Amino acid sequence: MLAQRTLALRLPAKAANANLTQARNMATLREIEMRLKSVRNIEKITKSMKMIASTKLSKAQRAMNEAKKYGSANTELFQHATAEESPKRKLFIVISSDKGLCGGIHSSVTKATRRGLRGQPISESEGKAVEVDSDSPIVVIGDKSKSQLSRALPKNLTLTVNQIGRDIPTFADAAGVADLITKLDAEYDSVVIVYNKFVSSIAYEAAYMEISNEKILRESSGFRTYEQEDDSTKDLAEFSLANAIYAALVEGHACEMSSRRNAMDNASKNAGDMISSLQLQYNRGRQAAITNELVDIITGNPLNVALSCAHSLISSPKVPVLCNDVDVEQEALIPGSRIIKFKPQGNGISVLHNSALSEPPHTESTSVSQRHCMRALRDI
Amino acid sequence: MSSLRLLSSVARNARISSSPAVLKRGYAEATDKIKLSLVLPHQSIFTSQDVVQVNLSAVTGDMGVLANHIPTVESLRPGTLEVIESEGTSKKWFVSGGFATVHPNNSLTINAVEAAPLEDFSAEAVRANLAEAQKVANGNGSEEDKLEASIEVGVYEALQYALSSK
Repeated sequence: MLAQRTLALRLPAKAANANLTQARNMATLREIEMRLKSVRNIEKITKSMKMIASTKLSKAQRAMNEAKKYGSANTELFQHATAEESPKRKLFIVISSDKGLCGGIHSSVTKATRRGLRGQPISESEGKAVEVDSDSPIVVIGDKSKSQLSRALPKNLTLTVNQIGRDIPTFADAAGVADLITKLDAEYDSVVIVYNKFVSSIAYEAAYMEISNEKILRESSGFRTYEQEDDSTKDLAEFSLANAIYAALVEGHACEMSSRRNAMDNASKNAGDMISSLQLQYNRGRQAAITNELVDIITGNPLNVALSCAHSLISSPKVPVLCNDVDVEQEALIPGSRIIKFKPQGNGISVLHNSALSEPPHTESTSVSQRHCMRALRDI
Repeated sequence: MSSLRLLSSVARNARISSSPAVLKRGYAEATDKIKLSLVLPHQSIFTSQDVVQVNLSAVTGDMGVLANHIPTVESLRPGTLEVIESEGTSKKWFVSGGFATVHPNNSLTINAVEAAPLEDFSAEAVRANLAEAQKVANGNGSEEDKLEASIEVGVYEALQYALSSK
């Protein structure tokens, strides 16, 4: 008798445990399903962004090749007419853009500018250290670099420009920026344009172009070999600045497109990996739930069979389950589900427990759903 | 100023002051060439190509550049640019403005903002745009607008002249 009782005591507990795991699996299954849906959506978005970036990249690369020839023709003069001494006071122009999701483009340019201001070589692969005034003015093109630099070097920020870089930059954009800079009336000996150089379609690095201003140009001995009928040095300096800004803008744009393409490519790949692993998890969970239900049916515990059938039909935990077995604590099995326990009493039934209600139930129930349930039960 | 130029051109090597009627005669024959790079922001028309002579319209006057020209920097005004690649073949473009630089190493670099072959222009459009620009220049807009319009008028007038004297 004792042995029988112990056995009898143990069985419901084990059954309850199995139902608990089954319930937990079902809840996790829903979670996995939701995660799968959201990751699939994200993968679609990143894939489409990658396509757009690749088409923009081919156009941007062609424009960049032309612009580079223009820029190198422009800087030929400065190669022949180098500055006598390294100018101390420089005006930095930082070329970036307003949009994100493009990898490390903006940070690369920001870090290079900070290196340059400290006097270290701007480009990581080459260049020498020079002395630079610590309060050299900085002009930023692009909101992303502006926010980074305003945290790092707030005192040096002189001018910011945005809405450039949505499409391939034109000479008009560059001329506008050059115009703003000449109107700035800031003190500087030379202009350093910090931009991203296009190394290949999967790599870029920060680089710089140095353009001397009118005064330095005049003092250069190389420049004096050039004959000029009328003195057009000032115009030449301004024109060269606009040309250099144009070349840097177009190359920076091409780098941004290639970096965005690579970043979205990686994101799509990662999303794809996540989807496959989540899918496997989902299938495993689904199969485990089915196996558990099968086991319950085979062992024949009527309570668990009934519950399994009910829950396999339920699509949402809000659908109430009516049960007339008052002893087992069923809320523990399916968290969040609505269990209504009732007991026949006289002409009708009394609801003993409604897990959906917060306050204790009363015999006379008022909600419409409960009344429907009771009518249905009376007819059983 | 033109007399001074004539004097200095005798002393220097191969600098011709040509009128708009193009002078194709040069002191250097087709064997001596100069490397021309004519680049626009969106397109490069010539990249280090050997040409015989280049006639351009600088702010200081029209000039022709032959091989071994002295280094010089010239600001360009809106006008025709003619490139003579070899004896007999010449091509013309209309240039909106820019800079022409002759380097010590016998190369000529022209950075122009816009340039197009003369055939691509339509006289009708030029006339219509010129009339509009003149209206704005003589109207009562802001000083900046009027200045921009007067620059436009200059370009269109030069274009008309270039098209008529093709």
